[in-house]
Amino acid sequence: MSSSFAPEPPASVALDLDQAPDERRLIEEATHKERFDGLKTTAWALPGGLWLGFYLLAPLVFIVLVSFWTYQLGAKSGFTTQWTLSNYGTIFHSSTYWHNMLQSFYTSLIAVAACLVFGFPIAYFLALKVEKLKNQIALFIIALAPFWTSFLVRSVAWTYPLSHVLTWFGVHTPSSTSVRLAMVQLYILFMITPLFFTLAQVDRTAMEAARDLGGNWLQTFRIVILPQILPGIVIGSIFIFVLTMGEYGTVLVVGQNYVQSVGTIVNSYIVGAVQYPQGAAAAVLLVLALVGGVFVITRFSNLREDI
Amino acid sequence: MASVSIGEPARPQDRVITRPRQKRDWAKLGLGTYFCLFLVFLYAPMIVMAILSFQGYYGGITFPFRGPFSFNWWRSLVDSTVAGSPTHATDIHTATKNSLLVSVAGGLIVALLSFTLSMAFRRRWRFRLDSVAFYVIMLALMTPGFLLAVGTQLFWSYMGLQPSIWHTALGANIVWGIPFGFLVMLAVWNRYDARIEEAARDLGADQRRTFREVTLPLIWTGIFGCFLFGFTLTWNDYDRSVLFQTRATDSLPLEIGGITFTSSVRPDLYALGTATTVLSLLVIAFLLLLASVRRPRRGEPVHRVEEEFGVTEGLGGLAGEG
Repeated sequence: MSSSFAPEPPASVALDLDQAPDERRLIEEATHKERFDGLKTTAWALPGGLWLGFYLLAPLVFIVLVSFWTYQLGAKSGFTTQWTLSNYGTIFHSSTYWHNMLQSFYTSLIAVAACLVFGFPIAYFLALKVEKLKNQIALFIIALAPFWTSFLVRSVAWTYPLSHVLTWFGVHTPSSTSVRLAMVQLYILFMITPLFFTLAQVDRTAMEAARDLGGNWLQTFRIVILPQILPGIVIGSIFIFVLTMGEYGTVLVVGQNYVQSVGTIVNSYIVGAVQYPQGAAAAVLLVLALVGGVFVITRFSNLREDI
Repeated sequence: MASVSIGEPARPQDRVITRPRQKRDWAKLGLGTYFCLFLVFLYAPMIVMAILSFQGYYGGITFPFRGPFSFNWWRSLVDSTVAGSPTHATDIHTATKNSLLVSVAGGLIVALLSFTLSMAFRRRWRFRLDSVAFYVIMLALMTPGFLLAVGTQLFWSYMGLQPSIWHTALGANIVWGIPFGFLVMLAVWNRYDARIEEAARDLGADQRRTFREVTLPLIWTGIFGCFLFGFTLTWNDYDRSVLFQTRATDSLPLEIGGITFTSSVRPDLYALGTATTVLSLLVIAFLLLLASVRRPRRGEPVHRVEEEFGVTEGLGGLAGEG
C-alpha cells in the first residue's frame, strides 16, 4: 500500500546508468524488499519502544526539566516553567545532602566489595567445582530463588526477628551496618550471576596448562582466570553500585529513619515538602553520580569487545 | 622384607600395582560448606519469619518463640477478628486482589513486549538503531526504581493525568521487567535453530503456519519465563509503587509497608510476608516444573507418499506446474 505513494525514480536516471531493464527491475525489487523488511522490523520494535519511551525516557527527561523550573506554592503541580538554577544552588549548599550522598556512596562501595568477596567463592564453586550440569543448574536455581521474593519482606525480617541474631555479632539494628548487611543479602545474586556465567566459560584447557606449567592456584587465578572473568566482575559491580546507590525501600525499613540515603532525602523533598524542583535537582545529581560511577567501573574492562 | 620377597610373583608383569588413591578435593569440600552457610544466610530471613508466624496468642516480633504452636496469626489474614482483636484482614483482601490483577497484567504485557522487541533484534535491524535500543533497554535495568517513580509521578501530575497503581505503577514495573524478559528471549533465540523454519517453509508451510506450528512451540517456555519475570517483579515491588499510592490497600507490598511503618508490628505481618514469599516461590517452582516436563509437540502426520504421487489436490496441481 505504502509503496504506491513512494516516489518513483525518474526514468532519466535509469537511462544514464545504462542498465538493462531486467537488472534495474531486480535492484528496485531488492531495495523495495529491504525497505519493507525495515518497516517490519520497526513494527516489531514499536510496542516495546513506545512503552519504554513513555514510561522510561519521558519521565527521566522530565526530571531534568523540572530541576530547572521554579518552585511556586499554589501553582499547577507546585511549580512554574520559569527557568532557574536556584534549585541546584540550594542543593549545593545543603550539607545534609552532601553528607547523605557520601554516606550512600560509601555504602555502595562497601556493598560492591562485600558482594564480590562473598559472592566469588559461590560462583567459583558452582561453575568449576560442581561437575554435573544437572547439579549445577539445580544449585544455581536454589541460590537464585530468593531474587523472586519480596525485597520488602526480607528487609522486615532483617529489622525485627534477625536483629536479635545481629546483636550477637555486635551489630545494632537501626544502624548503617545492618542496612549494609541487608543490602548485601538482597543484592549479592546480581554479582553471583554474571560471575557464574563468565566462570563457566573460562577455558578449562588454559587452566590445566597453567597447572601443568607449575603455576600454583594464585598464579593460575591471576594470569588465566581473572582476565577472562573481568567482564563479569564489571557487570556485577555496576549492578550492585547502581542498585545500592539508588536504594530507598531497604534504607527506609531497616534504617528506620536513623539511616539516611540519597533516596530518602529525595523522598523527603517530594513527599514531605512537596518541593518538586528541589527533589528533581537532587535526583539529577544522583543520576550524574551513578553515571560517573558506572563510567569509572567500565574503565576496568572493555565490555563492548569482551562480550 | 623376607615376607615381601616370598609374596612377589615370579614374573614381573604379574605384580599388582596399587596406585595411590586420589586425594580428596579439600577445596571443593570447603567451598561446598561455604555454599551451605551462604544458603542459610540467604534463606534465614524467610525461615525465621515463617517460624515466628506460628506463635501463640502472646507471640512477639522477635525470638524467643512464645506460646503454643498455633495458626492464630495465619487466621488473622482471613478473619476480621481473631481472639477478640481486630485484624487487617479486609485491607489485605483488597490489596491481594489488586496485586494479583496488576501482577498478571504486568506479566502479560512484559511477555508481549519482550517477545516483540526480541523479534526486532532477531531480524537484524536495518537502520543502525540496534545499539541505541539495546542501551535504552539496559537503561531500564539500571535506573533506580525510586527515581523512575519520582519521574513518572512528576510527569503525570504535570500532564494532569491521574496517577494510580494501574496507570503509573504498572508502567514503571513493566519498564523494570522488560530487560529481564528481553534477556531471556535473547537466550532463547541464541539456542534456536533457524534452519527448521526454513525446513518448514520448504515443506510448503506459509509464514503464519510456520510461526504457529514450528516457532511458537519451541519458544513458548521462554515467553512464559518473561511472564513470570513480569509477574513476580510487579508482585513484589515497593519502590516503584509507593509514590503512586492513593490508599495503602492499592497493592500487597504497600499494605505490608503500611503495617510496618504505621501500626505496631505483630506476627500477623510475618504470616503475610511468608504467604507472599511462598506464592512467589510456588510460581517459580511451577515454571521449572513446566520447563522440565515439556512435551515435544508433534504436528499432524504428513502423508509424503500421497503428496509425491499427486493424490492430494493442492500439491498435485503444483507438481503439474513444475
